[in-house]
Amino acid sequence: MEHPILFISIILEALGLPVPHGLVGDSVLAKLVSPHMTYTWLVMAFLIIVPKLTLGKMEMVPGKGQNFWEAVIGGLEGFMGDNMGKEGARMMFPMLATFALYILVANMIGLIPGFMSPTSNLNITLAMTLIVFVTTHILGIKFHGVGYIKHFLGPIPALIPLMLPIELISHFARILSLSIRLFGNIMAKETLLGILFLLAGAYFAPLPILCLGVLVSIVQALVFLLLSILYFSAAMEHAH
Amino acid sequence: MRLLADFSTIGMTVAFSIFIGLGFGYYLDHKVFGGRTTPVFTMVFLGFGIFAGFLNLYRLAIRKDL
Repeated sequence: MEHPILFISIILEALGLPVPHGLVGDSVLAKLVSPHMTYTWLVMAFLIIVPKLTLGKMEMVPGKGQNFWEAVIGGLEGFMGDNMGKEGARMMFPMLATFALYILVANMIGLIPGFMSPTSNLNITLAMTLIVFVTTHILGIKFHGVGYIKHFLGPIPALIPLMLPIELISHFARILSLSIRLFGNIMAKETLLGILFLLAGAYFAPLPILCLGVLVSIVQALVFLLLSILYFSAAMEHAH
Repeated sequence: MRLLADFSTIGMTVAFSIFIGLGFGYYLDHKVFGGRTTPVFTMVFLGFGIFAGFLNLYRLAIRKDL
């Protein structure tokens, strides 16, 4: 397929760095400057710098910028509080809000020509999913101690040899479904946009897909957030 | 929103459960026991995987709050 024009990769190539032309490079340096890494850093810089610039100094009567960010953060906290209770929401808020904002910006950035979504690479989504998975079990052990294993054993003692592998399999299926859903949706959006630009970009053929892409980006960010919340709250509550 | 998350997950959960079960059984047969037990573990864990997938489906189906 036609190689997409990614302006960060072009700048880095002009600086003499070994930017890989596939997805992942060979040496460590090539891995560090591969497109999904550089665009992840771009998103991180965006998320750090833009709030700093727009927030101004905090005031009792919020101005325009502070009002917007208060609405975003307040909305996220309300959404989490509805789904996992006030206590859990306050505890897990920093991590989950980071994921939600990062995924949202990372999905949206791929809609601009010359940029790509870091989330269209399976490594990025798998990394985030593994963090969620490990945190789920740490939370479970923290809240129940050794009794957390009851979550895996089912209600009837005689059925333990049957239930244990089944519960383990369904926990591993969570990793796969959470990461591959996000990856697949964003990858499909990127590939479709690339093909349509290539075929009939001058006649605005990608326009409907761009509109759908905005919707898909928001929905996938919210679904990732919501599923992480559901897994966390399932690990915190008592075994059924 | 919550329903969207649940229902978009369940199809993939069924598929991935079956393949995780199959893959783990295949790994046990061919890598751990060196092919001497083929196809016992593959079939047993394929059964576990199918059961896990449909257990998740059943749990979604009997939920009262939908």
